[in-house]
Amino acid sequence: MSNVITFENVSRFYGEVLGVNRVSLTIPPGVTSLVGPNGSGKTTLMNLMSGLLRPTDGKIEVLGISPGNPERLCKILGYCAQFDAFPKGLTGYRFLYSYLRVHGMSDAECDARTRAALELTGLTGAADRHVAAYSKGMRQRVKLAQAIAHDPQVVVLDEPLNGLDPMARAEAIALFKQWGEQGRYVIVSSHILHEVDRISDQVILLSQGYVVAEGKIQGVRSEVRDQPMQILVRCDRPSVLAARLFQDDHIVEAMIRGDGKNLLLRTKDADSFYLLLNRVILESGLVVESVAPADDDVNSVYQYLIGGEGGTA
Amino acid sequence: MSALWMRQIGAVMRLELKRTAFSKRGWWIYCLAAAPVLISLMHWLMARRLSRNHTVGEDSVVFAAMFVWFFMRGSLFFGTMGLFSNLFRGEMLEKTLHYYFLTPIRRELLVAGKYAAGLAVSLALFIPSVALSFLLLGRHFGPAWTDYLTHGPGLSQLGSYVLVTTLACVGYGAVFLVCGQLTRNPMIAAAVVWVWEGLNPFLPSLLKKVSVVFYLRSLCPVEVPVPPPFSILAVETDPSPFWVAVPGLLTVALILLIYAAVSARQGEISYGE
Amino acid sequence: MAVYKKTYRPYEGALTGPLARLLVIPRYAFEELHRSRFLSVFFLATFLYPLISALIIYVQHNTSALQLLNVQNARGLISINVTFFLSLLGWQSAMSLFLAAFVGPGQISPDLANNGLSLYLARPFSRVEYVLGKMSVLVILISLMTWIPGLLLFLLQGYLEGWSWMADNVRLASGLFFGSWIWIVLVSLLALALSAWVKWKPAAGALMFVLFFVTSAFAATINAVQRTHWGNLASVSYLVGTIWVQLFEGANKTTNGAVFFRSPIGEEIPLGYCWAGLIALVLMCLYMLARKIRGAEVVR
Repeated sequence: MSNVITFENVSRFYGEVLGVNRVSLTIPPGVTSLVGPNGSGKTTLMNLMSGLLRPTDGKIEVLGISPGNPERLCKILGYCAQFDAFPKGLTGYRFLYSYLRVHGMSDAECDARTRAALELTGLTGAADRHVAAYSKGMRQRVKLAQAIAHDPQVVVLDEPLNGLDPMARAEAIALFKQWGEQGRYVIVSSHILHEVDRISDQVILLSQGYVVAEGKIQGVRSEVRDQPMQILVRCDRPSVLAARLFQDDHIVEAMIRGDGKNLLLRTKDADSFYLLLNRVILESGLVVESVAPADDDVNSVYQYLIGGEGGTA
Repeated sequence: MSALWMRQIGAVMRLELKRTAFSKRGWWIYCLAAAPVLISLMHWLMARRLSRNHTVGEDSVVFAAMFVWFFMRGSLFFGTMGLFSNLFRGEMLEKTLHYYFLTPIRRELLVAGKYAAGLAVSLALFIPSVALSFLLLGRHFGPAWTDYLTHGPGLSQLGSYVLVTTLACVGYGAVFLVCGQLTRNPMIAAAVVWVWEGLNPFLPSLLKKVSVVFYLRSLCPVEVPVPPPFSILAVETDPSPFWVAVPGLLTVALILLIYAAVSARQGEISYGE
Repeated sequence: MAVYKKTYRPYEGALTGPLARLLVIPRYAFEELHRSRFLSVFFLATFLYPLISALIIYVQHNTSALQLLNVQNARGLISINVTFFLSLLGWQSAMSLFLAAFVGPGQISPDLANNGLSLYLARPFSRVEYVLGKMSVLVILISLMTWIPGLLLFLLQGYLEGWSWMADNVRLASGLFFGSWIWIVLVSLLALALSAWVKWKPAAGALMFVLFFVTSAFAATINAVQRTHWGNLASVSYLVGTIWVQLFEGANKTTNGAVFFRSPIGEEIPLGYCWAGLIALVLMCLYMLARKIRGAEVVR
């Protein structure tokens, strides 16, 4: 059994409309975020991965299993889809229990797993209420519970934080991180970039059906060479440092900010800047409190590669 | 068939029964199933109070006409349409089919489970309907009716009607399951089937055989002539023998179900978005 | 002062008239219908019968056309009388049943399924106005198919035949008008009630047919089993047909209805019962609508 999720030259068209085009990806264990504007192909990619759609071209394997083989795939994969719809007349408990029975598990095992999933998503108290009477946040949580009830190795979550209140969001994010740390494959799509930043081990940036970038966010940022890197330096004499920096060609911009001790600079060559900083410290006795990249987050990468503001709420 | 498969089919059946059987949304199907019973009940109650000068034999012909022209063409046809075409199309419209598609069940078993649930509900509705309406229709004859049932052809006629009803549920169920799976609006497909089945008495012999109703009518115990003025247009054809009609219908249903299973296997979830 | 008092200002300007608000619904509905090629073609095809009828009336009064076609005795073949107009109404009404079965179910069910009803009722728009607005879609469409072409044909025949014909046959015009409206109110309310109760559009459409065709079969079965005519009370088409004949001819009946709306001779039931049957059906539809057309639905 392979230990990655792979897309090999996968394309999917809806008639003449492009869903995703020539996507080649490898997704390792941990939390992977799919980021992109509406219609960029995030949901299509997730539906392809979970076998709800078939690729027009190319090959997909989820830990060595083809999505065209749902009998094997769905044992190891759970999907919290975007559709906010539930079968009529079922309570939260009955909803989870009934679909677990379709997995072929015994009555006792279904009951135990249902209760565990409800507990994990904080729905134990509402288990006997009809899903139709749930709030949006509760419906989102019961979908999450349904996706994880059979303890899958791969968890695909389409906008899982939608409708959750801040407390539930924090809990869900902690849960995703925990699953990632346990070695599960957690694939999350979200447009809330600062949350993506908090949970992701790696990101896949999509735009208009194409994969624009993939990998660890810092790595992706360093690959974006046409955009100068932003670095924030906190030191005792930022004006001295700024004056020295402008003698080098790779420095594009430098601004003193905040309480007068922060210097935000943009450089075309980060490695040269760090060497230069060392020299300045040695030469002028500059006291540096901290040096940190200021734009190696998803939001910045999103703006550089896709353009426009990412969602923030 | 492995135990796992049986458990999975059972689980699908339970879910479907919970969703479709005796739900408020199916009120019109229950009305359709209750209608023949209501007619027979009225006949029994009214015939008891008013003296009627008709015979048991006449009532058995009247029942046969009711069975062919009203029960099969109306109640059962539209009832099975409502039940079976809703199995897949209903879930597509409610956007809930993906929950099944995300379970490790063979899609063929999903089709089998859904069909079995639809069949169970339709049999539970229409067999009591036909049996009760038959038993009530001649109830006012008193001992003569009991004698007709126990010593005459009554019970065997009832058995034939139950068999025809079962086969109709099997046949129409498979037709409408496929209609619901393949067409966005099964009503159009159902209207085509309805018209085709209605034209059956007037079709040439060869075309008659491409229908469900031809085989079902062949199994009916009492022959019902086409009423005038349409009778002049009817084409006489020998009824299909029992050993052809029953396996023939079951084979047609099986072929349709295999087709439905293959379609489900290749199915995708798009919900028309 | 609370923040909302500083920022929230309810609309205080002039409102459009109730009729203008009401017609917003059909305006959008027609736009949607126009997008369906099938419905557009079907709707246009329903004018074929009135057009052929107009042609017959014209040819019958055009001597040179009769000579040209060598059918000088055509007047004797097709008479422009009660049967002519009743057949027109029967055929057009049967067509409108198909149209209502396709258009009607899409009127209310999407609003209920997507919780859209509150959006209407949160505006200066009552439940009655909502129903009337939705109903107006079918009323306009079926009017264009029934009494409007019917009266135009009546006027054409009157113009060509002379005022005396018009005066003698004014009952035909009133029969066409009131007969059409009985059908329009019945079909529209039925379509809306089914649309409100059956959220799946194809099922609601199928139910329209079930109600007309299966109730006819149900009535015929009751008649056969009970050896009576009272089963006809369960047949909507019979009830409508009987009332039409009364509206067109009064007590001196020469026809038994037309197309699907017939009351076979010898199987009559008193007219009062037919009216009562139809009124009961209309009241049931209104009750069904009143139950479902509410701003909020409580799910337990």
